[in-house]
Amino acid sequence: MILRKRFVFTLGVVVWIALSFGSLHAMPPVQRSVLPNGLIVINAEEKTLPFVTFKLLIHAGARRDPNGQGGLASLTARALLFGTAKQTMAGINEQLDFMGASLSSDTGRDYAVISFRVLKKDLDAGLKLFMEVLSQPAFPEQEVANEKARTLAAIRASEDRPGEVADKAFLNALYGPGPYGQPVIGTRESVEHITTESLRRFHHSCYGPGSSVMVIVGDVSERDLKDTVLTQLSAWNQAATPAPPLEIKAERGSKRVNIDRPLTQANVVIGHEGIRRDNPDFYAVSVMNYILGGGGLSSRLMHDIREERGLAYSVSSSYDAGKYQGSFRIVLQTKTTSASEAIYLALAEMSKMRSAPVSEKELEGAKKYLIGSFPLRLITQEGIAGLLLQVEYFGLGFDYVDRYPGLIQAVTIEDVLRVAKLYLHPDDYILVEVANLKETGAESQTR
Amino acid sequence: MKCSANFFLVCLAFLVLVITLSPYSSAGDLKGLVTETVLSNGLKVLLLENHKAPVITFQVWYRVGSRNEEYGKTGISHLLEHMMFRGTERVGPGELARIIQENGGQHNAFTSADSTTYFQNLKSDRIGVSLELESDRMQNLVLQEEGFRTERSVVMEERRLRTDDNPKAVAWEQLWAAGFQSQPYHWPVIGWMEDIARLRLEDVKAYYKRFYNPVNAVLVVVGDFDKKTLLEKIERSFGAIRRGVLPGQRVSIDEPHNGERRITVKREARLASVVMGFHVPNLRGLSDKGASEIQDVQESRDSYALEVVEALLGWGESSRLQSSLVRGKKLALAVGVSHPLLSKDPSLFTISADVLPDKSVTDIERATDEEIERLQREPVSERELQKAKNQLEASFIFQQDSIFSQASQLARYEMVSSWRNIDAYLPSIRAISAEDIQRVVKRYLTPDNRTTVILRPVSPSKTATSPSSASTEEQVR
Repeated sequence: MILRKRFVFTLGVVVWIALSFGSLHAMPPVQRSVLPNGLIVINAEEKTLPFVTFKLLIHAGARRDPNGQGGLASLTARALLFGTAKQTMAGINEQLDFMGASLSSDTGRDYAVISFRVLKKDLDAGLKLFMEVLSQPAFPEQEVANEKARTLAAIRASEDRPGEVADKAFLNALYGPGPYGQPVIGTRESVEHITTESLRRFHHSCYGPGSSVMVIVGDVSERDLKDTVLTQLSAWNQAATPAPPLEIKAERGSKRVNIDRPLTQANVVIGHEGIRRDNPDFYAVSVMNYILGGGGLSSRLMHDIREERGLAYSVSSSYDAGKYQGSFRIVLQTKTTSASEAIYLALAEMSKMRSAPVSEKELEGAKKYLIGSFPLRLITQEGIAGLLLQVEYFGLGFDYVDRYPGLIQAVTIEDVLRVAKLYLHPDDYILVEVANLKETGAESQTR
Repeated sequence: MKCSANFFLVCLAFLVLVITLSPYSSAGDLKGLVTETVLSNGLKVLLLENHKAPVITFQVWYRVGSRNEEYGKTGISHLLEHMMFRGTERVGPGELARIIQENGGQHNAFTSADSTTYFQNLKSDRIGVSLELESDRMQNLVLQEEGFRTERSVVMEERRLRTDDNPKAVAWEQLWAAGFQSQPYHWPVIGWMEDIARLRLEDVKAYYKRFYNPVNAVLVVVGDFDKKTLLEKIERSFGAIRRGVLPGQRVSIDEPHNGERRITVKREARLASVVMGFHVPNLRGLSDKGASEIQDVQESRDSYALEVVEALLGWGESSRLQSSLVRGKKLALAVGVSHPLLSKDPSLFTISADVLPDKSVTDIERATDEEIERLQREPVSERELQKAKNQLEASFIFQQDSIFSQASQLARYEMVSSWRNIDAYLPSIRAISAEDIQRVVKRYLTPDNRTTVILRPVSPSKTATSPSSASTEEQVR
């Protein structure tokens, strides 16, 4: 009771900024505020269904794993549910399941996102539990040991998924021993070195309200916010250390990584360094990549490799543009005997993007898709919450949804050619092949 | 009511541009909200307005899937699905995707054992694109040899990717192959590799002609539109198509087991896996009659009870198998439980587990048996039963967030019985008692009714012993 009163008062000084996404997109009105504890709260009321989606972004990604303890960030996020000062793991899970709620974590390189979905009728109790596991995890010795064993097994099991093996090898070749070169889940060696003490320390220094972002989308009125939600969020008090800036160095120079497996297909990754999200060329790159390999059945890679020759079921290209230098990748799978041909074709398409302008028709097609399909991202609570997190994290501004069509529309044929020359390197790339090397010919080629 | 990770069931036309649309305005009754119309040519149209956002999902469901195939021609439903992107007399090869995407649309297609689906998600003012393209390719597909050969190669690549290079997928394929003998669920949706390689253009032409007709299709549209106006447009686009002949849907149904079937798959793999399937009835009695009534009330009650059993055993960290196999006894990396509520023919209730290194398959099987026997022996407590029901209900509501899943739920019910039965789901779940649970577990989850497949890893044959380092050779050019 006392608590509630105090926070009602505190909230009086919070400045609410009501923002509106253009009516065209049927985006519910968005409010942003910063609580006294530093937590950024973004709320969009969407009342068509009786539930609420929370997404909390914490600057506790794998880039903050201490040396030799790769996988710590990921394990910490998962271990939040292993028990608190007050409750056991079994007790917490039983309550969550009884509400039919879902609570999960997703740790990436730069940040972790904790997602929580709960029916409106359980909002108060659910949020209480969410905040308890977030702020008072106990990291019990036994549960952590079990999870370490499972993590080691999961790492082992991922060796059976050739696509993942190729991807891991690509990132390692591109970023080396740096934080972006190591798998978020850790390695067999690094996970062994994680202790409950390291989890506690990591949680203590990285988990706090300051500069974290909580997005709330769903059946929450302003009244619910003031009465229950903000009170609980404001009670979170822990001074986390801000994430230090990061210098990401990508390897330059051509490199081949061949991994021999008795497979029927060659799993191929061709790639190199990419761009940062704040690169002003981001939008031109989006258009260029759509034409090259991001545009599904309409892309050049898909046309050449799949539609014309039937060499692959799936072939695509992507730029993964984060706060720091991301990567560019072409990913494809083809039967071992056509590996060389498919790789040759992919590289030829990269070169062609740089040597000749795209057609007016291709440019328009890409723009129309990127602009026209944007509203499809804003239909579900999950979709809206995910976009709001990105908007806040990358500082895109709440008018982003309205500005996006203009940003894409402004891209010209010359821009596409320019960014292809700048950000595609068909002579300077990493090539990973996970395949039966004798049959693909990769073995003889590299000797 | 859940997305089962069932390798057997679905093959997409292509992988990219994934959809994330979700559907109802509340978990209330649908009967008053959905409009069902049957055009004079037999095309059934289901329309549900949802004005949450200015978008629509447009889905055409054909009543044909791998269950309609025959020996030696497996995979033909799925190969035809691929061919549906290769153009018509009016729309050239590759044009279909381009047109949809230029209109800001997401699109794909998928084939299951029971049905084949084509969909677009678009801004509501672009609905004309779907009307035009889908009505066109229902009849006017151009099937040519060259495109066919290319697409067949694509599908063979798809099979290599999904199944042949994936040891767990091979184990799942074997589960269906051993669990069913005469019933078409015996073969995989994507088909056996040799069959795919042998399929001919003529086969596909005949198949298209036989199954792709208004009388054998259901059109579902959910989203931001006016029903009356849209129905007129649908009538204009689809109404003139020739009705076609309703194909027979009767298939052989397997006789009950006379004892457990056990299969071993030896593959290079890092972890062992166990997958088991128990024969269970489908929601409605027989699958070859068009009637929408549930024919066997008892069996349909069994189906809902098995939904609850699925949640009790496998939903959430506090579920029985998760608590026992994963957390308690620490035998499994993960467990999965799936009940095929909406299958056209009787199917398999499945339980699967990935075995932790150094733990034994036998112990996993024993621990699973113990949990099943406990459900047979002791009635579940009031609280635990309520927990499972709450989970199913919450999941049902969460699912309504997407217009895409709203539409596909209507269609999946329609494929096996009637979309009207959706309204029976929550009340039927709520009515399940602890005795029902005991009864269905005793009746269906028995060793004699079980097919078990063990994936036994063999060590890497050609390369080195330590998979983390020595199998990697790295060279700088």
